[in-house]
Amino acid sequence: MWKYILRNMWRRKARTFLTVFGIVVGIFALTVLGGLSARLTQQVKGARSWFTNSISVVPSGGSLFGGGEGSFFDLGTVDKVLAVPGVKDAVPGIGVTINQSSGFSFGAPDLIIGLGLNGANDLLRLLTLSGGRLLQPGDKGKAVLGSVIAQKMGAKVGSTVDLRGVPFEVVGVLQPTLSAPDNFAFVSYEDALAIFLKVNPFFQQQNKITSVIYTTWKTGVDPEALGARIASQVPGVTVITPAKAEQQISQFSLIFNAILFGIAFIALVVGGLSIINTMVMSVSERTREIGLKKAIGAETNSILGEYLLESATIGLVGGLIGTGLGLVAIVLLNHATASKQVTVFAITKAVVIGPIIFATVLGTLAGVFPALRASRLRPVESLKEE
Amino acid sequence: MPAIRTEELRKTYGAGESEVHAVDGINLSVEKGEFVSIIGPSGSGKTTLLNLLGCLDLPSTGHVFIDSLDTADLSLKELTRLRREKIGFVFQEFNLLPVLGALENIELPLRYLGVHAKEREARAREALHEVGLDNRAKNRPSQLSGGERQRVAIARALVTRPALVLADEPTGELDTANTCKVIELMRKLNDELEQTFAVVTHDPMVATYARRVVSLRDGKVISDEPQEATPVVCD
Repeated sequence: MWKYILRNMWRRKARTFLTVFGIVVGIFALTVLGGLSARLTQQVKGARSWFTNSISVVPSGGSLFGGGEGSFFDLGTVDKVLAVPGVKDAVPGIGVTINQSSGFSFGAPDLIIGLGLNGANDLLRLLTLSGGRLLQPGDKGKAVLGSVIAQKMGAKVGSTVDLRGVPFEVVGVLQPTLSAPDNFAFVSYEDALAIFLKVNPFFQQQNKITSVIYTTWKTGVDPEALGARIASQVPGVTVITPAKAEQQISQFSLIFNAILFGIAFIALVVGGLSIINTMVMSVSERTREIGLKKAIGAETNSILGEYLLESATIGLVGGLIGTGLGLVAIVLLNHATASKQVTVFAITKAVVIGPIIFATVLGTLAGVFPALRASRLRPVESLKEE
Repeated sequence: MPAIRTEELRKTYGAGESEVHAVDGINLSVEKGEFVSIIGPSGSGKTTLLNLLGCLDLPSTGHVFIDSLDTADLSLKELTRLRREKIGFVFQEFNLLPVLGALENIELPLRYLGVHAKEREARAREALHEVGLDNRAKNRPSQLSGGERQRVAIARALVTRPALVLADEPTGELDTANTCKVIELMRKLNDELEQTFAVVTHDPMVATYARRVVSLRDGKVISDEPQEATPVVCD
């Protein structure tokens, strides 16, 4: 049966090739974008535990991913947040990019993250060390590096690194999370602020500022209710509670999934139509043969199956080639950016198997109409066909 | 018992003014093991009759009995099964599948009968041997001559050992030498296997080899005579 199907496909080499090629292009795009989406999902997922175990208080209009007008507020706000009943700890946080050039970067940029160390224990415990220790209250000139940063700088526990011209002693290195914290260098709030003010002299007058206040809650306090209380008692802030954070994170993933679905849809329409077209032509070319088969006793279902199998095979072959090329492209692109310690694409099971299954199902569905047409041909009329 | 029998068989195309009676009340009975030739000018209803006998087409009115079974009682699915099990077809244009080799073409009806691969190949080889093409098993139809193609098609019709073989102008596209070979082959199989043959032809030479000639005109039988069949002698 297989031999027969493949020989039939081979009869019109150019046409079969073009149809398969159409599927290959769509599936290639789907695979590469799937790799991109898988990587983004990894990054977002890694950030999730951080954001869902604290309430982030940011300047009005801000979100988890930055933005908002007047992106900084006065350190006095920290005390106002602390004063809200139910708040366990509130620590100021501030971020400075490690690289001076603020060009395009994929995913999380390399950041110096400054945290108020008094009361930050609950937060810091969300990070997993691969060596050394976490930051402690009173640490000055000490840094805990994310895995990617450590690798980039060739730093180990005990070595000294240069962050924006300031030397820091590395006291700990984090385990890879495949997500944002890999690109972070954690230091004390005071150290980070000093660097921030050095590179942004404009803010000198305001002196003590913070871009985010990470807030934890006392045992038994509902973080959502607490978030509402903070929002009503502290002016000029946007409160991102765990539920909101979850929502923003999934929204972020949703956008990429929407893009992915868009590509899949285009592949579906273009690839599907071209398979339908090819199969309809094949059926009309082989009308006589179908008539002959029915005359000598082929069941309707046997003809149906034969043509469904042929179109599914077109989909499968296109899917295999497209996915294969997509994976090659992903590996090459990742290789090209590896020297910068950036991973743009991830290869997961879904990235490999998804497009192949998608292409095969697409091929099968596209074959339904032509195959039904073939199976319903009447032997007498079909045999008359020239 | 007749292998095939028709009762007031009619096939009408169109309606009203343009109504055409392609087959117009035919009563015919063919005994097991007979070799019947159906002749007549073009448009006399030969092919339509053959299609009705082979259950490829459904009559407007009347009945076709195959082995005393009234085909009017059967569903399309049952008719397909009947064709598969009891009838072999040979066509003027051979109708071999171009992507299959000679042996694979012959195997096809066995495949539809659900015969498993080993037995299928053995039986197909035997049929190929019967038509004298042992050395052409792998060749595709495009690599065979017209006469060889028709012999493959005959092997395909015979491989299931059908009770009835229906041939529509089997020699229509063949030269004299190949026509003779094909007729000789069909006669030999008719003698040896006692299969019933109904052969539609407008070649008078072909008709002389049959043991009975049914002559049609305007969808009606105008003569139905047994004859002393000429022995087939090919050069």
